[in-house]
Amino acid sequence: MKFINLLKKELKELINAQMIISLVVVMFLLMAVGNIMSSTIDEVSKTEYKISLDDRDNTDFTKSIISKMKENGTVATPVDTQGDDYAAILKDNNLDSIIIIPQGFTEAIDSKKKPQLITVSRMESAAMMSNVNNHVSDVTDVIRGCIYEELSQRAGITQEELEYMSSPVNISDNTVVDDKSANISVETIMNSVMMKNQILPIIVFVLIMMVSQTIMSAIANEKIDKTLETLLSAPVSRSSIIRAKMLAAAIVAMINAVFYMVGFSTLMSKGMGSTINTSMNVEEIAGNIGSVGDIVSTESKLSQLGLSLSVTDYLLVGLQLFITIMICLSVSIILGALVNDVKSSQTMIMPLMMLAMIPYMISIFADVNSLPTALKILVYAIPFTHTFSAMSNLMFGHDIIFFAGLAYQIVVLAVCMFFSLRLFNSDKILTISLKFGKKDKTTNSDT
Amino acid sequence: MENILEVKELSKKYSKVFAADKVSFNIGKGEIFALIGPNGAGKTTTIRMIATLLTPTSGDAVVAGHSVVNEPSKVRECITYLPDEAGAYKTMKGIEYLKFMAGLFTTDSREIEKYIEKAKNINGLGERLNDKIGTYSRGMIRKLLLSRAVMTSPKLAILDEPTSGLDVLNALDIRKTIKRLASEEGMSFLLSSHNMLEIEFVSDRVGIISKGHLMVTGRIDELKERYNAPNLEEVFERVVLENEIH
Repeated sequence: MKFINLLKKELKELINAQMIISLVVVMFLLMAVGNIMSSTIDEVSKTEYKISLDDRDNTDFTKSIISKMKENGTVATPVDTQGDDYAAILKDNNLDSIIIIPQGFTEAIDSKKKPQLITVSRMESAAMMSNVNNHVSDVTDVIRGCIYEELSQRAGITQEELEYMSSPVNISDNTVVDDKSANISVETIMNSVMMKNQILPIIVFVLIMMVSQTIMSAIANEKIDKTLETLLSAPVSRSSIIRAKMLAAAIVAMINAVFYMVGFSTLMSKGMGSTINTSMNVEEIAGNIGSVGDIVSTESKLSQLGLSLSVTDYLLVGLQLFITIMICLSVSIILGALVNDVKSSQTMIMPLMMLAMIPYMISIFADVNSLPTALKILVYAIPFTHTFSAMSNLMFGHDIIFFAGLAYQIVVLAVCMFFSLRLFNSDKILTISLKFGKKDKTTNSDT
Repeated sequence: MENILEVKELSKKYSKVFAADKVSFNIGKGEIFALIGPNGAGKTTTIRMIATLLTPTSGDAVVAGHSVVNEPSKVRECITYLPDEAGAYKTMKGIEYLKFMAGLFTTDSREIEKYIEKAKNINGLGERLNDKIGTYSRGMIRKLLLSRAVMTSPKLAILDEPTSGLDVLNALDIRKTIKRLASEEGMSFLLSSHNMLEIEFVSDRVGIISKGHLMVTGRIDELKERYNAPNLEEVFERVVLENEIH
């Protein structure tokens, strides 16, 4: 069959050793970064707090605080410093952070004044992971707790009373989605579904860029090498040429999607997941995801709220992703026909990039459905928006918006396909270029 | 002689300019016809219309009884086209390219093998056909493409500047192949070229085109006599100058 012959040729052009190697490398890099982040954070969380502490007050009270810290597993390395040139103190003692109990600390507490506790930390980067090792605030919490305990004892408050006072109420968090409710907090739901909702937009964005660039370059190369003229003069229907190109690009896109999905899932679940968990406080970790039982309980509560996606939902999201790719392909064929060289194909990708970037950014920071009506219509007019918000719409029961979006995408696809087929069936495919209305120099060496 | 191609007042207009204006000529079976003209004369536009790549603004061309306007898909079954300075898929091996192109003309695997065998004999690339096209020299690519253009024994092979950019030996080889295929297999050729020596050597008849108009057609010796010129170059010069004066 001639179509199979064309499809095989397109696949051979697109799938080569370089492409496979780069995909595998990217996937393993993403997985490796995820694993490294995860193991680094695990390592850090297992390490006992090692902090340098300079007790300049040196009273029985401050000594008892330090001994209580040791009992709690917080080892404070004593250092002896002077003055308030903190940069010099860190440099001279080769430290990254230090806590200083200044002179007069005990005296201030005894006279019921608020004493000052000095902390000094070195900051070398604003990266999320760069300050994970800084436990100064954790240690100051421990010191605060010790002082609290000491003062309570002085006031004759028992340990049970103290524990009761530190947590006098049990909060029962309930969340309502549509007409369903479950005994779970919004924060817990957010932590649980955030990963799922973030992976899809990343994959969609990467695919849109990749697919557009691939097909545009393919058309541009065929025009420049004049292999397109040879193909178009062969006894094979033009629709089969275009279908073969689109199907091959779609297959390659799907292969890319699988590799990126595996890579990003590992990165997000292991790496980013660990980071988020670390940034949660200890109670939240213990209470929400501390045990398998809790995870199962969270999942069942998500189901109770209708927030768990079924197999059908995932298939619908997959269908929408496929339609999005096909829209990209048909638009890219039109844009690729305007291109004179591979360099200008990089410029021609800009309109598609912007159309993908806008809903991508919005989907990360906000819910499209919560935008003002005029803006919402404008954003939903971009066909890619429906794919970026697909999971969220299905999860929160916005079925009408989802199916309306799907129908809209099918209409957009039909229109784009119509124009790209029409372009291929006319001589415009050879004569149009970036210089609209003028003949393409690359295909008209002699008129 | 049976006509394989009949071009009838074929015109193509871009914006307000006619790139080809009422061009008419015929090519008989086994005949080699060359369109010659200065740059921008309308050679490629005329050739592309006959190759069904461009839609004529008016007029028609009939290839083996099929109109390029009404039956372009039928025309494509009877022709092959080799564009000027055409390339091939660099990541493919020479043999894969021939197989792919043969597969566009037939689905019969025996036919495909026959076409490939013929192409191999014509291009003489031997073992190099198993190498990627990206490693080929310009001459090798041109030979590969020419063998591709004639391997299916089309009724009309359209070759735009078939030897442009080639060294003397490669060009001579290609000219000999064209002549042999026309005389032995009765294949018809429509060529375009700037090289008058090549045209004198290879073609049976020529058409001189200038500013979109086909000024004159005829056998080379007839034209030399008519314009009292010792060679085709001078015939060409006189026809083009005549056109500029008018």
